[in-house]
Amino acid sequence: MISPLTTRGFLLLIGGVFLFTWFGLVVLPWIYLGHLAPIQDEGSSDITPWDASGAAHQGEHIYAADGCVYCHTQQVRPANSGADIIRGWGTAKDESDDKAPPIIRRTYPRDYIWQGQVFLGNSREGADLSNVAERFTDAASLYRYLYDPYILNPHSSMPAYRFLFIERKISGLPSQDALALTGDDAPPAGYEIVPSDEARSLVAYLLSLKKNYHLPDEKGPVPAPPDKS
Amino acid sequence: MATSPTIATQGYTSTDPELAAIDASVRWPVMACFLTAVHWMVVGTFFLVYASSLAHPQDTFPILGLFVSLSDNFSMFTYGRIWPAAVDTLVYGWATTGGLGLAIWILARTCRTPVRSPATLMTAIVFWNLGIATGLIGIFLGDSNSVELLEFPAYAAWTLWLSYVLFAVWAVVTWLGRRPGHDHVAQSWLLVALFSFPWLFGGGSVLLDGKPLAGSGVIQELISAWYVHGLYTLWFAPLGLALLYYLIPKMSGLPIRYGTKTQAAFWTWIIFAPWTAVHDLVGGPFPAETVTTGLVLSGLIFLPVALIGMNLVGTAFAAEEKHGHHGGIVFPFLTLSAVCFVLAGIAEQILSIRSANELLRFTMFRECNFFLWLYGFFSFGLFGAIYYIVPRLLDFSWRSSALIRAHYYFSLYGILLVIAMVGFGSVVQGETLESPDPLVTITIADQNALNFHIASTVCISLIAIGSGIFALHLGWMLLNCINIRVRANRLASEILHEPYEPEGPAGASPAPGTAAAKKEVAA
Repeated sequence: MISPLTTRGFLLLIGGVFLFTWFGLVVLPWIYLGHLAPIQDEGSSDITPWDASGAAHQGEHIYAADGCVYCHTQQVRPANSGADIIRGWGTAKDESDDKAPPIIRRTYPRDYIWQGQVFLGNSREGADLSNVAERFTDAASLYRYLYDPYILNPHSSMPAYRFLFIERKISGLPSQDALALTGDDAPPAGYEIVPSDEARSLVAYLLSLKKNYHLPDEKGPVPAPPDKS
Repeated sequence: MATSPTIATQGYTSTDPELAAIDASVRWPVMACFLTAVHWMVVGTFFLVYASSLAHPQDTFPILGLFVSLSDNFSMFTYGRIWPAAVDTLVYGWATTGGLGLAIWILARTCRTPVRSPATLMTAIVFWNLGIATGLIGIFLGDSNSVELLEFPAYAAWTLWLSYVLFAVWAVVTWLGRRPGHDHVAQSWLLVALFSFPWLFGGGSVLLDGKPLAGSGVIQELISAWYVHGLYTLWFAPLGLALLYYLIPKMSGLPIRYGTKTQAAFWTWIIFAPWTAVHDLVGGPFPAETVTTGLVLSGLIFLPVALIGMNLVGTAFAAEEKHGHHGGIVFPFLTLSAVCFVLAGIAEQILSIRSANELLRFTMFRECNFFLWLYGFFSFGLFGAIYYIVPRLLDFSWRSSALIRAHYYFSLYGILLVIAMVGFGSVVQGETLESPDPLVTITIADQNALNFHIASTVCISLIAIGSGIFALHLGWMLLNCINIRVRANRLASEILHEPYEPEGPAGASPAPGTAAAKKEVAA
């Protein structure tokens, strides 16, 4: 065995070992995946996937700053690896056709090309968010969930994010996006609770998270929808 | 409070005058590292208990209501900021700062040369700590980018990196000035650690901190996995192993068991262990070839783990048998550290099995792994080292063997229970999350995991109590040390009929003429 304390051993250490891991783990996949581009629809100028709005990109920073990624993933593993499909995390409604079956699929590298920062996540204390916009279709219900998760799910272990909202005095007419809250959460009379700018961009980001399109990367038969009976 | 004679024999410096001179030359940098590290450990452990308690918000511990309402209403205290702050404080503030102290000490001793320019080191340490403080403030103010273990904002990361470069310059100079003929296996491990850290931290910070590279997509997650596991396997593991390979034979007086296997253990670890990064990639949107290759390579991690286990655990157990009473008061920390290294290796080995990985991928097994690496393996090695090194640097002994024992037992039961609880909990959580029944929801998985989260908070609190005892003990020792030094100086000046001139705090080393008087007082 060569000692790493000799010159030859040291060169072997740097060249063969450090660079070996770096090359295999990062450089080679980068060569594979670095050039991914959206798919252009023949006959129209549509592309798949499409870029999210500017507000949604702003929301990435709030998602990062408040550490959503420590409990939520954004990746759906294939049906032969884990039960993500069975949990319904890969299910999205096909909007091109009302009668079409829902799109059920894993996520592919191409799904993430528009995201500034990618939050695949490593922990599932909370649900996967790859298709969260399919489960929460409007901003109002997401605002309410962020303000007090127990309203929708009394057993939720998600913390409340009240600091993303502002309680203010109603002057004139109440705001259109004031939260409809009852019981303990309701603001005092004459006051309303409205989302801050951070909450707005975070919700815009969350509402952009849906994989309701097919990709040519999909191979093999589409798995059957989970039986919810 | 009598000093226990078993902690260290009278005259606490090394009996080898050459080593004693080396210890004296690194006294202030190493002490600065250890003291700031212990400070960050206290802060980080508090954050960790706080964050862990937020995982079961509907529980009714007395103080929990306050924690939860703080986290609901102030962005600073939300789980997504407290948890990374806790992990980063422990990883960079406690383990890495303490690890730098260790590296300085082991490097100077194995190179057999008194260090040059400790002022360079002190500058590096000051800026290093400033970097950590800045980074924490950044996380709390919402500047974090949520990349695991790289949460510190770019400005803090660069402060840390530049401080490390300063340290590295010193390390290279010391290395070049080493006395030949004293090669030690600890040096190989130290070499890997000291080269890996800037490579990993620089690469990770450049590519992931600040603005993400446009269109890099999932590559970011590959780099992140490379970084996180690189930090465990190429920074903490080599640093801790350097310590164990150096101290276990030294303290026990026994040669390393199966000593001919140390080189094989070294190279197999360096080649296979960093591939544990793919444990974070299984099933994800990544090239299948990368994942499969990585699982095969990281699956071979049992080779180095077995060899290192034979070396270190074998020697440690032999030493405990030879010396009785677990080999002393400080030695069991090193045994525990070596055993936890093997456990951490086994945990990594389990994750290399594809089906086990699919089950445990998104569960609290990740925390289990973190506790094993950072607390079980690295921290307990570092505790043992601090217990061993500080008396040799200050020529002053620990105050109470009972406190060291208490620290050991709190740590031992804390870490074993937390690993058992989180390990078992992750299987329960995984079985629910990966259940083939479509009616099972995330809420049910959370409910099943809840009790294990509560148990984990309790066990972390046990470790926290142990760490608190340690920190208080260290503080007590320092106060006593300063106090006695000051009194000794005063006495000496009275004997010599000279007007007393107090020396600076922290007992700048006493004048040569006072040595005899000091011995009298200390005795």
